[in-house]
Amino acid sequence: MPKFSRSTWLLVLAALFWVALLLGTLGQGNAGIGPGVNWAHWLALAAQGGFAACVFIFARIQTGPLRGHNFLGTLRQLFWRALALTAGLLVVEGIAWLEPNTHTNRAVDYTIALALFIGLLSQTLYTWRALVSFRGGARLRREWLVFELLLGALLLFQLTTWVIPPPLRLVVYAAIGIFGIYLCGHQRWVAYLSTSQKTQAILLQLGILGFLVLFLLYLRQVQADPTLAAPAAQQSFLLLASFFAVVYAVAGLLVSLFNLPVADVYEQRRTEFMSLQQLSQVIQRGKTPQEIYQNLLNSIVQTLQADAAWLDPHFAEADGEEVTPITYQLSADAAGQLRDRLANPAAGPAHELVDNDLERSQLLQGLGLTGYGSLALLPLHNGGPHNFGTLVLLKMETESFEPDDLSVLHTFITQAALSLENLQLVREAQVSQRTQDELRIAALVQERLIPKQLPTDNWFEISTYAQAAKEVGGDFYDFLHLPGQKLAVLIGDVSGKGVTAAFHTAQMKGIFHALMQPNPLAKSDRQRFPDPHRFMVQANEALTHCLERSSFITAAFYLIDYQAGGFSFARAGHCHTLYYHSIKEEVSYFHTEGLGLGIIRNDNYGKHVKTQFWDYNPGDVMVIYTDGIVEARNAAGDEYGENRLREMLGECFYQSAEGINAYIRNDVQQFSLGQPLHDDQTLLVVKFKASQPQQ
Amino acid sequence: MKVTAQPSGDTQTFLLDGELDASSAVVLDAELNKPELLSYKKILIDCQRLSYISSAGLGVFISHLQRLQDANVKLVFFNMQEKVFNVFEILGLDSLMNIVQTEQEAQAA
Repeated sequence: MPKFSRSTWLLVLAALFWVALLLGTLGQGNAGIGPGVNWAHWLALAAQGGFAACVFIFARIQTGPLRGHNFLGTLRQLFWRALALTAGLLVVEGIAWLEPNTHTNRAVDYTIALALFIGLLSQTLYTWRALVSFRGGARLRREWLVFELLLGALLLFQLTTWVIPPPLRLVVYAAIGIFGIYLCGHQRWVAYLSTSQKTQAILLQLGILGFLVLFLLYLRQVQADPTLAAPAAQQSFLLLASFFAVVYAVAGLLVSLFNLPVADVYEQRRTEFMSLQQLSQVIQRGKTPQEIYQNLLNSIVQTLQADAAWLDPHFAEADGEEVTPITYQLSADAAGQLRDRLANPAAGPAHELVDNDLERSQLLQGLGLTGYGSLALLPLHNGGPHNFGTLVLLKMETESFEPDDLSVLHTFITQAALSLENLQLVREAQVSQRTQDELRIAALVQERLIPKQLPTDNWFEISTYAQAAKEVGGDFYDFLHLPGQKLAVLIGDVSGKGVTAAFHTAQMKGIFHALMQPNPLAKSDRQRFPDPHRFMVQANEALTHCLERSSFITAAFYLIDYQAGGFSFARAGHCHTLYYHSIKEEVSYFHTEGLGLGIIRNDNYGKHVKTQFWDYNPGDVMVIYTDGIVEARNAAGDEYGENRLREMLGECFYQSAEGINAYIRNDVQQFSLGQPLHDDQTLLVVKFKASQPQQ
Repeated sequence: MKVTAQPSGDTQTFLLDGELDASSAVVLDAELNKPELLSYKKILIDCQRLSYISSAGLGVFISHLQRLQDANVKLVFFNMQEKVFNVFEILGLDSLMNIVQTEQEAQAA
């Protein structure tokens, strides 16, 4: 047995009722057939009621709510159907005119015409329903249901033989009629028509009205026939239904024709405008992200009259503060469940979801969120790279999120997203500015640590060059004049880069100056200041407690006694000193042993570092540098190297200290031309001169 | 930079391949930080393919030196390229760490 749908069964049932109606009508005229007139009369009543009920329910199921703004399509559809039904009526009338005027013929014609009329009424009524409920709330839906129930009750009354007393009947009819007129006031859809659409709508409505009037005229004419006309009670349902159909069409016609303002449409537009204005004001005042989110939600809920809403913000606050989710008429639990249900990683974070019929889609099934008809999910972004969260709106009615609602939503969201983006940019700029400022201060502090005034004397020349790879560096050097024509020179390199390394350079400078304080208990001049070995041991000890385990410092310390014409020095893991020997006319490195500072953090360190002595001659040149010089790389990745440095000194030893320094650093820069500075570079040149009398 | 561990009996050998700079130092540090490393008697570092070592790379060995010594685990380097050895030497680590020529010497150390 094939499975029929509900509508098919209704049509079959309607056909059966129609046959019964035909039999009843036929019976009414032929009193001689069957048990009598009463039987036929009752059958006609019941059959007509049943038929009307079936056809109306069929129309109710068939006509869904309006989709989008397809008013003209809906009207056109109704027009063609009405035209077809009216054509049917005309055909029936034409045949009736040609065939002999027997009671049977008249009865058949009448029942067909009545069926066509009921069909037209049902189609018109439910098309009007779609238009009435356009943008109507739950209240309007309830009102319509009451109207339907009242009409249905009238239909039931036909089956009883009890006739309502005339005054009461008048009151009931008037009440239902006024209710119908009230419903006819819902013509919001007209406001959404353009001028050309309005003209079409007027013509279509005029046509539909014409067809209705044609049918009514026909029925009025046949009512004169006593064998066909049903009692007043029977017609009251049809009467009121057609009354409503006609009045709604006329009202719509008037509204379209005279462009009558439909107050609540303007009201809604005003609310949208006000909310948007309010939102932009809030944004201009530069409030917090939380306030912008809250305002966005408020504005949208107010404008679209959402029944529940939830906003899940996504905004990274600079100070780690979280922007909290906001809900409206929704518990936090429900919001959480909703989030899990709607999370769709495949669609990406920026997907938009609109479900205008939740009953059918079952999207929220099992979530305990019952009663909602429509849902809209929108990502908060304005086309930029940032997604500032997700907004979910719920409404009780189905078909609530139409294209123009969404366009209002998009306007709000774009506005809010724009301001959130601005806010984020401002915050990022502030953070980055602060970091930059701090780095600049650090660089400034380090700059101050570099000796500006180089020691000058007749016995030697000093030239310095230092370049940090980043804002702050890990290289350091310092000089200190000691009493008794002595000069202490320190150079070093902290492992690692950046602020940590810079911090340790400051520390080394502190250690240097602290250790170079004259010892008041010293018995001889020699013991007044630590010798290079002791200096390294004490510096190593001082660093033990403040240097990270994986960090170390390389340093070289020179104590030049230019009265005696010699110097002592110690190397703690630092680059070998390059030396030009003027008598031997030879450039060579001092190859000495010495362990970096901070590598061994116990008493054993003293065994790994040695003091060396050297007597210099006038014209000798000492080049002291950090590994940034010899490890400078060229485009091919080769290192500058000790050999090239030695050759360079061999080429320029006769120049002044500054000349030698410039010559070497130019060569290094030439070598690594176009390459970024990988490491800090420091280059000190000391040139010893022939002794000259003190002035 | 690639670090390959080759355990064999009570000896753990690490093969270093590439440049040991600040970023690869983190990888090596994680390897040397493993507690089970202290159960070996000897840790050999094969430096044949080690082409460069930065101060951060040296820092890794320096920071583990004391810990391994305290646990009585020997740390021996072998097959070191001259350029890399120079870096160890300048810093004075050659006097502190066991650096030998060949794997045989390393095994015997």
